[in-house]
Formats: sequence, C-alpha cells, structure tokens
Amino acid sequence: MDDLMIDGTNSSPLVKLDASRGLAQLAGESYPENAFDFFEPIALWMRRFIAEETQPLLLELRLSYLNTSSTKCLVDILDELDEAYGKGRDVRVVWYCDKRNERARESAEEFGEDIDLPFEVVLEESAQ
Amino acid sequence: MPNGVIDIYKLRMDLMVENILICFNGPFSHSIIEEIGRAVRQYLESDEEPPSSVTDVFAVFVELAQNVQAYASGLKDCGAGRALDAGTLVIGRSGEHFTVSAGNVIRRTDMPSLSSRLDELRILDRDGLKRLYKERLRAPRAAEGGAGLGLIDAARRAAAPLAYKVSDIDEQFLFFSLTVLV
Repeated sequence: MDDLMIDGTNSSPLVKLDASRGLAQLAGESYPENAFDFFEPIALWMRRFIAEETQPLLLELRLSYLNTSSTKCLVDILDELDEAYGKGRDVRVVWYCDKRNERARESAEEFGEDIDLPFEVVLEESAQ
Repeated sequence: MPNGVIDIYKLRMDLMVENILICFNGPFSHSIIEEIGRAVRQYLESDEEPPSSVTDVFAVFVELAQNVQAYASGLKDCGAGRALDAGTLVIGRSGEHFTVSAGNVIRRTDMPSLSSRLDELRILDRDGLKRLYKERLRAPRAAEGGAGLGLIDAARRAAAPLAYKVSDIDEQFLFFSLTVLV
C-alpha cells in the first residue's frame, strides 16, 4: 500500500506514514482550521494498514500541542488501533515530550489512560 | 473625534490600566488566530514563563478563538454592516496569572444552552471536569455540538471557574464575554 506524507504547517503536524516499515510519525502542533478534514486521510491510512498489512505498526508522536478537535480525532484513531491490538495485532505507541513541559506530558499520558495497547511516554531534552 | 483623528493614546491608556497585553477586535480568520497565537507565545516565552503556563495560555486562547470563529462565521450574512461576525480577543495579566478573554455576538435563542453548559462546568472540580471531558471525547460528533470540548478543556486549564457576562444588543442579539484565568 502507499505511503502518506503531509508537510507540517504552523497549525498542523508533519505526517509520515511509511507502510513498508510499519512506521507512522506525526510531529508538530495540531490546531488546524478543520481537524476532521485534516485527520481523515490519516485515519483511513491506519484502517487500510490494519486491514491489508500484517507487519507490526509503531506510532511515533511528537505532538507538543493538540486542540480539542484534534484530540478527538486522535482518540478515535487510537481506539481503532487498540481494537486491532485486542485482536492480536502488534501495535504500539511512543510519545516523545519536552521534559520541561509538564502539561504536555500530562496530556500525552492521558491519551494512554483508556487503551490497552503498549503506550509509552518518553521525555526528551527538547521535543521541538 | 476632533479633526477626524482617533485618540489611540487614550485607547492605549485604557488597555494599560486594565493590564491588557494583546487585544484584537475584528473578523477572525484561521491565519489571524495563528498569528496572534504566535505573538502570545513569543510574549510569554520572552517573559520566561514556565513551559506549562505557556501551553495553558496558548491552549485556552486557541479554543476560545476557534469557538468564536466557528460561531461568528454563522452570523456573517445576518446583519449587513453591523459587524456581527467580528470577535474580540483579549490577553491580560492578573497578578500571578494571565487572563484569556473572548467576546462575540450571539443569538438570544442560543444563550440558554450556552449558559447552562457554563454553569455546569463552573461547579465541577478537577476530577469532575476530567470525567466530563473524557465522556464528551468519545461521544458521537453530532451530539457534541460545538463549544463543548473546548470549554471543558479551558475549564480544566483554568485557575478559577470560568466567568462570563452577557450584554444586551437588541431584541435578536446579545454580546457574550468569557474570561478564563490561567
């Protein structure tokens, strides 16, 4: 299946979804004008990856800020990945945060609270 | 307005007396929100505020601004020349804290549901707000109905209950002001 690449902007993250490596990366801030439009192709890619591929998926996030609409979209994606994990797929999430920003860490950890898939928050010297 | 000159000095002094750092009044667009957001963040970072406070002020600013933009865009065609789609955004200082405020024109008929939502948030504690936030996060999109999650997120980041004020405009419209102490 195809990879998906989207350049980052001031209010939307860089997106690199690499099917052959099973690596999905999102980096930057997310408060686009229409979060549902922005996240839809990402959600579709994830759904296709789960349906068509068999290799493990690693989701690497360096999202320093998400507005509430983006948060809702990401939670929907994580819920779908969690369902796949429940059915035996190898899916995990690593979220990198700036170690100085306690609030960003708390928000990242909250995403992992209601799902069962392996979800790790890693503190970095600077996530920017 | 003598000689057709607007007294900017007086306006500036009024802003300073109220401890207002940044103020915008006019129609919002996404790029304006990005630019003011950048200015807010630069100001806070140059002031050496802790990263968590910068994130909270920025986050509340984004939610309030995007709520106003979303609501105001629905009023664009309602009142020619009456600036119904113009919003006002104010970032100020209040002692150790910052205030993020937003104001916009709203239909009288929309006020009861908005005020009941705000009053519901005002009495919840930190855990109650978190529970409500998570509940709404997984609610179907249609049921959420704008200004839901954004207000809860603002309330969670706030140092005091959300404060709001309603002013009369005419028989059809009100002016709604919301202030979040961060």
